[in-house]
Amino acid sequence: MAELGETGEAELQCLVEAEQQKAHHFIELCWDKCVEKPGNRLDSRTENCLSSCVDRFIDTTLAITSGLPG
Amino acid sequence: MDSSSSSSAAGLGSVDPQLQHFIEVETQKQRFQQLVHQMTELCWEKCMEKPGPKLDSRAEACFVNCVERFIDTSQFILNRLEQTQKSKPVFSESLSD
Repeated sequence: MAELGETGEAELQCLVEAEQQKAHHFIELCWDKCVEKPGNRLDSRTENCLSSCVDRFIDTTLAITSGLPG
Repeated sequence: MDSSSSSSAAGLGSVDPQLQHFIEVETQKQRFQQLVHQMTELCWEKCMEKPGPKLDSRAEACFVNCVERFIDTSQFILNRLEQTQKSKPVFSESLSD
């Protein structure tokens, strides 16, 4: 693995944490939408909802980003 | 490692490795506590109805399921995001704007 040096490593660490926070946000949003009462396992309906949730959130983000002027 | 040089803008690289380890451990503990706090809130929302004189067994069972399902959900979504990022690399760029 190439040596990043101190600054490079710090930047990488920041990027990794930013990515984790985004993912964390997703997880909470989709948990809210898709899980009503937690059961013994994730059933297929919940899994489908979670998949759709991720996809629709991405679509929404892209739609809003491309809709903004400039 | 030159221990006499000042840390200035060099970041953690010039910090004593023991201290760095300590910071990592403390950061991990903090993250864990944040997770516990978050899960307590989420599961309270899903599992608690009207608070009664004690925690009934139905709520307790729900809490167990809640924690496990939340972990399952996190894993599921992370996998899904990984798949999506592989097929749509453009996405991460627009998210970071």
